[in-house]
Amino acid sequence: MAEFLLEIGCEEIPAGWLPGLTQQLRERFLEVAEREHLDPTAVASDSTPRRLVLRADVAARQADREEPVWGPAVEAAKDASGAWTKAAEGFARKCGVSPEALQQGVKDAARPGDQYLLYVRRTEGRSTREILPGVIAGVLRALAFPKRMSWDAWIEDGKGSFVFGRPIRWMVALMDGAVVPFAIHALAEGRRADPVVTSGDTTWGHRFLPREAAGRPIRVRSGADLREKLRAACVLLDPTEREKRILDGLASVAGPAPPDDHGLPVEWRDLVEYPTVVVGKIPAQLRSLPTEVLETVLVHHQKYVPLGEGRVVSRFAAVTNTDGSNADEIVRGMERVVVARLRDAAFFYQEDVKRPLADRVGDLAGVVFHKGLGTYKDKSDRMVRLVDAMGAEMGLLTKPEHEAAREAARLAKADLTTLMVREFPELQGVMGGIYLRAQGHPWPNVSVAVQWHYHPVSVEEGSPPARAVAGGDATVFGAVSVADKLDTLAGYFGLGLEPTGSSDPFGLRRAAQGVVRVLLDFWSADAAERRPNLVQLVGAAVEGYGDTIADSASAKLRLAAFLSDRLRYVLAARGYPGDEVEAVLGAREPEALQDPHEAWVRLRALHSVRSEARVDFEHLAVAFKRAKNILGSGAGASVDPALFQEAAEGELHAAVGRLEVRDGGYEARLRALAGLRAPVDRFFDDVLVMAEDPRLRANRLGLLSRTLSLFYRIADISKLGG
Amino acid sequence: MTLQEIVFSLERYWADRGCLIHQPWDAEVGAGTMHPETFLRVLGPRPWKVAYVQPSRRPADGRYGENPNRLYKHHQYQVVLKPAPADVQDAYLGSLRALGIDPAAHDVRFEEDNWESPTLGAWGIGWQVLLDGQEITQFTYFQQAGGIDLAPISAEITYGLERIAMYLQDVDDVYDLRWSPEVRYRDVRHEEEYQLSRYSFELADAELHRTLFERYLAEGWRVLGAPGGRSVHAAYDWCLKSSHVFNVLDARGAISVSQRAGMILSIRKLACAVAQAYVKPAEAEPAAPPEAARG
Repeated sequence: MAEFLLEIGCEEIPAGWLPGLTQQLRERFLEVAEREHLDPTAVASDSTPRRLVLRADVAARQADREEPVWGPAVEAAKDASGAWTKAAEGFARKCGVSPEALQQGVKDAARPGDQYLLYVRRTEGRSTREILPGVIAGVLRALAFPKRMSWDAWIEDGKGSFVFGRPIRWMVALMDGAVVPFAIHALAEGRRADPVVTSGDTTWGHRFLPREAAGRPIRVRSGADLREKLRAACVLLDPTEREKRILDGLASVAGPAPPDDHGLPVEWRDLVEYPTVVVGKIPAQLRSLPTEVLETVLVHHQKYVPLGEGRVVSRFAAVTNTDGSNADEIVRGMERVVVARLRDAAFFYQEDVKRPLADRVGDLAGVVFHKGLGTYKDKSDRMVRLVDAMGAEMGLLTKPEHEAAREAARLAKADLTTLMVREFPELQGVMGGIYLRAQGHPWPNVSVAVQWHYHPVSVEEGSPPARAVAGGDATVFGAVSVADKLDTLAGYFGLGLEPTGSSDPFGLRRAAQGVVRVLLDFWSADAAERRPNLVQLVGAAVEGYGDTIADSASAKLRLAAFLSDRLRYVLAARGYPGDEVEAVLGAREPEALQDPHEAWVRLRALHSVRSEARVDFEHLAVAFKRAKNILGSGAGASVDPALFQEAAEGELHAAVGRLEVRDGGYEARLRALAGLRAPVDRFFDDVLVMAEDPRLRANRLGLLSRTLSLFYRIADISKLGG
Repeated sequence: MTLQEIVFSLERYWADRGCLIHQPWDAEVGAGTMHPETFLRVLGPRPWKVAYVQPSRRPADGRYGENPNRLYKHHQYQVVLKPAPADVQDAYLGSLRALGIDPAAHDVRFEEDNWESPTLGAWGIGWQVLLDGQEITQFTYFQQAGGIDLAPISAEITYGLERIAMYLQDVDDVYDLRWSPEVRYRDVRHEEEYQLSRYSFELADAELHRTLFERYLAEGWRVLGAPGGRSVHAAYDWCLKSSHVFNVLDARGAISVSQRAGMILSIRKLACAVAQAYVKPAEAEPAAPPEAARG
């Protein structure tokens, strides 16, 4: 057993990549080393932004291996005179031995009587030291990066040009302390040039610390030695150790209540080799900025954790890649950046808030939405009309909801002309809501709807704005959110700019998923007549463009198909099996797009009942595929019991009749329908549907058709798999 | 250290490391990358090392001289090393020391920040260099320019001169910077910032700029296709001009998201054609002098 140690010294690897790369390094090494018969054990990997490290125990040399090579059957190996046949001689020649040296054996344990010629190929194990350079090359090639770069590098492994995540600048490769030779060459004009990285026993510590020793090579003997020497050189190799140092640091500065760290410590951990948390102050006059603005600047732009009391952010915590000895000066630099940005933001806020948001609506006439689709003023007007259609024509909104949604639709885009949104585009919508509240808009549900109308952006249940909108406000928010997205979709589809393949430059898939999610999760109406019909809404959205859209019939059809597809995607993303989603979306009446929320209710019911009665549904699925095939040749007319000839016909007819008048929720109805399995099976066993007598045939087709339509109100059962 | 001393130090430092010290490009550009000494020189196989100051105009960033951090025009110090040497990060850190910044006394970090110029059909892998949380440099390994995969790979180091000077002089307002021992940034540039901001936000004739945008691009294509070739530089200048005109229109807030995409695409098409024309003669006849193209 020997220790293999590999350190790949890189220029700074992006923090977000490190957890994945660390795992890959371990897994790829294990695969390659096992393939090479090195019996790897105790494989462990670590990383910092500047290094990927792997250690493992491996066999000192490969074990000698034997593998059987089978030849012709013994009967075919010798002729009548007992001489070797051509087949036997050929096999022996291929194995490089004389026929006499071959053995006999049983190839198939199930047929012990059949003997075959056998050659046992012995491979002598090679020394691990000889194999490791190939293993290193194999592992380097196998690491997958979110984005790779060319850095003019070349490896002598037969593949040549070598791309990686960042340039490699040094490499430690040791087997029990002795260097495993490996080189990366420069690639110049398509050919191998001088080596740029040669493996050795030398590593490098922190770029700048400790001050007196930084920049000096460090020789190491083993994994443990590397870890300890790096620690002395201000590098914490183990990410969990860095994270602990960060969390301790954060706890010591945060005060009694743990702050919302916005997930930053995990990112910090992989940004630095020696984390030290420092704290900066936010000047009192800047603390009154809206929390969303402060957080955007601190968390998203600077990666600092906001600290403070209650909703007041008064300080921030930041990570440094230092030992903390110069913290004061470093913090002064950080504060300067934060103050500059916040001062900008404060200026924007003061300027913006002077002018009522409603006054800005007119300015939207100067902001182009799309060359072919007019300005944002036009868009706001269309959104208002769409909300009017939802309220007055479709009856989806109560009068107060309609009024609030109409006001929110009118104001939703006005913040696009504010200084704050021009500077921080990610605050669009959010600032509109904040300014409406600051300016004392009388209806809270209007500011909430404006603030969140770009959402939802994620397909997961419970993702924002789940907690921000609730109750009656949810419908107001939903109306504005859907109006905005459907208007955008209708416009782009009208211009023929729908997504193709992986290209979706205008984010239309996300917009359509947002529409679907609003209708599934946020529209608070339980009564069917107050739930939106997406087919109707698509019609209204496309017509909102008037003559701008040349072929509105085509745009409606394409957009409806696109939304169906997104509904399918959202439902599948929630973990429902594809065949159940297809079954529900395949139901003819009602069409899923006419009431997506209801489709989801049906899906949940089908999923639940099918898992109780799996076998019944398997039988029904088979039967219904048959039924559909038969009915493909023509739908049946009415059913006349007088024409029944088999008992199975009457039995099925009676069962269908009972179910047709049955009420109740989808689950109860599906459970009852599962009971059709026996009569349906018997019908197909006993009855020849395509009877020669046309009257009998029509009658039987009619019965099948009625049976199918019982299910079609819930799901197309024939779509279910086994 | 005054702003001009910073420039002197960087010029001395990079000249000592074999860089040609070039001059700013004499047309409006948004960044040092657009200078032909970067955009064209990174194409093709020939090694090159160059450094220069590039005044960079970003009309949308104009603030009438009222914002202490933001400028219509700022100054970049641009270094291009082709091919990128193995010690390029250390060489860069050495340049900070030459400016009197001791990295051991600060928090100097290389954080992922890939660079992309949609108008130039160019992108690269790299970092922003943060000094105590302040971005002072963009560091990029060019991967593509003008839509062409690059080999060898160039390293581009772009210093933000005002940012670095503010740090070194410990001032919070760019206009308080000392440009020379006697003269402040305010004295040199404040009025210009006001006037150029006013122009791009209030006075610029949007219709004229739309016309110019189309005509500049048309002229670029016309000269690029002119018989006899050898028009790459002229065509590229028109490409740069169209890009600046686009920036002025953008500053007026009159370009929508989707219009922007279309206009950027038009500029990129010309930039890519220029790059193709630049590398083509070299592909056909690597050793031939430019005169050969006259044939």
